[in-house]
Amino acid sequence: MSQAWPEMEEQTLPAEFAHEEESIKITGFWMFLVTDVLIFASLFSLYAVYAGRMGGEPNPATFFHLGPALAETLLLLTSSFTVGLAIWFMRRRQVGAMTAWLVATLVLGATFVAIEAREFLGDIQSGYTWHQSAFLSAFFTLVGTHGAHVTFGILMALTLLIQVARRGLTPVTARKLYTFSLYWHFLDVVWIFIYSVVYLGGRLG
Amino acid sequence: MSVHRAPDAEEHLPYLEAHFESETRFPWIKVVGYAGSLVLTLVAFWAVSAHWMSPTALLAFILGLAVAQAALQLGVFMHLRESRGPSWQIAGLGLGLFIAVGLVGMSIWIMLFKSGVS
Repeated sequence: MSQAWPEMEEQTLPAEFAHEEESIKITGFWMFLVTDVLIFASLFSLYAVYAGRMGGEPNPATFFHLGPALAETLLLLTSSFTVGLAIWFMRRRQVGAMTAWLVATLVLGATFVAIEAREFLGDIQSGYTWHQSAFLSAFFTLVGTHGAHVTFGILMALTLLIQVARRGLTPVTARKLYTFSLYWHFLDVVWIFIYSVVYLGGRLG
Repeated sequence: MSVHRAPDAEEHLPYLEAHFESETRFPWIKVVGYAGSLVLTLVAFWAVSAHWMSPTALLAFILGLAVAQAALQLGVFMHLRESRGPSWQIAGLGLGLFIAVGLVGMSIWIMLFKSGVS
């Protein structure tokens, strides 16, 4: 693993693509995202099949709170924008600005997870656990898997902040920051479908 | 039409060229993309809250908005085409989406046959 920046001829490339080896790892990370598409596709299929299997109470039309779901959506969309700016500053080698936008992304992501956890705990206190019905099993599995991904992304960003503070911006840390941004945007896309199909779609039933 | 022949190392293949977006000026495209994503979200929220159309039409409408939103994220924020060589991620993602749409679509389709089950 080379930590140094390559020769002048490659300086025109973005930081995260400066090394060929790191560029290949970015392609590899895209392939991981493709497998994650398949995981979420499976869970969406599950939800589509079981959303109507409510076993009495509750049903999707009354169960979901659209206000918190809209707040979560706006938080995640904003965090997608801030991580985009972080990568833009990373490519300009402006580590301070990049770190600031990454911290903003983290705070937004943590707020998202906090709202989701609060919603889930409220449901559980009302007796609506995933044991209740096939609908709730599918709902908690789909939305919970996404929430777990976001939580993992926050831990990933925290370790990256530590690495950048200790090593500075190198071809390796640049690649890791870039793949984190891909992961984060991808989770935003998955959430948009959860918001549309599960939360808004639940009102249409 | 050009005669078919095996490409050699000297030949110029645009497909194998590095592709990166120029990002020298302030990224207004990201600001526009962010504003666009907010508009798409709020339109979907409003359409459902106001019962703008029939439930089936609304579902199709908000799914369309979600697809637009996904395309926006991939195009504006994820630098989808960027690569030092061929953009393999587009081929992989295409295959992944093909399977995803097939899986979800066929699951919904088979549940429409209510005669034997439910």
